[in-house]
Amino acid sequence: MTANLNFKVVKTGPGTSIQDLGRNGFSEFGVPYSGALDKRAFRWTNHILRNQEDAPMLEIMQPGFKAKFESPTLICLAGASASCTLNQIPIYAHGLIPIQANDVLEIGKFEQGSILYLGIKNGFQTEKILDSQSWYSGISPTSMLQRGDNLSYSPVESGIFESNSKAKWNSDFYDSELIEVYAGPDWGLLDLEAQSAIYEHKFTLSSLKNRMAIQLEEWILNSIPELPTAPVFPGTVQLTSGGKLLILLRDAQVTGGYPRILQLSESAISLISQKKPMQKIKFLFLKN
Amino acid sequence: MITRYQSFTPFFGEFSWDQPISDELLQFQIALAKQFKIDFGKDIQEVRMGFKTLSVLWKKEIPSMEITSWIECMADQLTLITWEQKVWEVPVCYSESKGKDLKILAARKNMSKEELISLHSNPSYRIYFFGFLPGFMYLNGLHEVLHTPRKSVPELIVPAGSVAIGANQTGIYPSQSPGGWHLIGTSPLVFFDPKSKPPVWASPGELIVFRPITEKEFDFDMRHPQIPKLK
Repeated sequence: MTANLNFKVVKTGPGTSIQDLGRNGFSEFGVPYSGALDKRAFRWTNHILRNQEDAPMLEIMQPGFKAKFESPTLICLAGASASCTLNQIPIYAHGLIPIQANDVLEIGKFEQGSILYLGIKNGFQTEKILDSQSWYSGISPTSMLQRGDNLSYSPVESGIFESNSKAKWNSDFYDSELIEVYAGPDWGLLDLEAQSAIYEHKFTLSSLKNRMAIQLEEWILNSIPELPTAPVFPGTVQLTSGGKLLILLRDAQVTGGYPRILQLSESAISLISQKKPMQKIKFLFLKN
Repeated sequence: MITRYQSFTPFFGEFSWDQPISDELLQFQIALAKQFKIDFGKDIQEVRMGFKTLSVLWKKEIPSMEITSWIECMADQLTLITWEQKVWEVPVCYSESKGKDLKILAARKNMSKEELISLHSNPSYRIYFFGFLPGFMYLNGLHEVLHTPRKSVPELIVPAGSVAIGANQTGIYPSQSPGGWHLIGTSPLVFFDPKSKPPVWASPGELIVFRPITEKEFDFDMRHPQIPKLK
């Protein structure tokens, strides 16, 4: 690390990582995209900070995060709405927040949504590997931020604090139950009963959720034989041999052997990523 | 060979084939992917291989009709690549300490460990594509006798370098991962290095052979990392 300014992690839950827009062009070697789960919130944050569109930021998946800034900068929060304090004084948790030296930011309970983005002016400075700073086990030296870690950020030009941007992030759309999907390559292999169950029923998110996938609670009778390994993408919905629907997210493997039943729209990937266990969803079929 | 093209979302389509997995199909897929990238390059985000599929992510919406008519014109004109006979030698220590399922699997197949090792290390395997984990090679050519259903309960930790058998395939875990395949040995080679360009040393279409090594050779190779050798 260079003589940059430090961001000291005082406290963090599991699953906090640095993400940008991910790795493109390495799937031929088996490398997943990675990148921000909720690209919509990610892009908004960098836009508001007037950063490069892919400037790396922190993706925080659990309440109970606390960090100290060593020098002045400008940060922006978006994604989940959470109760936040700066030096123990409650602050509005979305949009730009000017930071002074030794400020302490604390993130408490998540109200709406399940992923909060902490963007910083000019992005966090971490190593770029295979064209991306996104953390992924086996590619970046670490995949989760730990208590006591330091991250670097660059000094900011004076004058940025006079920004008039009062842009506000609205997380109400995280309450929407409708997840846009298209019929996937193996949809036609399902029997009619399974198809109509997926058309008509609501589904529940299970607690099995990480950056690779979300599993749904309900069972679908899987009468499809094992298929030859085929490409899968973020947003691909697989039907496992055990009859569970698995919605792949940004860290998904590049290929898989389970039937590919549905494919989420890009915005639906961001939305489902923000859902919490026990929440209900309903698939909204789009015509291709 | 009949090639189908179907689009599933405005930005995701797929070529697919009904015929069984074969070197001939792989040759055709590679040739098709190459020509496709030449003809549609600027509109393609990504092309990705499967055993009987070739997926396309588009940068912009392209009508399926345009692709189906392209296929009709192109299919017969493609120049199939001739295989470069590149054969990579992968040293493997087949032993109970380096492959914890070796003994059980041999017993299950009613053969000695030595017979199993020879059935596994005699053939050459064709690399079809990379997937599952960064640097994991999908290999074709496992002897039918060694086909074994995956474990019903996957192991939480399969060590990096593990050589394993799952269903009709064999493969090498490039990194530690959970996995449901039967572990028969370990290779001391590095199969994926994110700091190298490219991060893997082999390419689809090339061949792999497994060369049995002793525990002693394995330990030596681990202390003095070897670069993969061509046979």
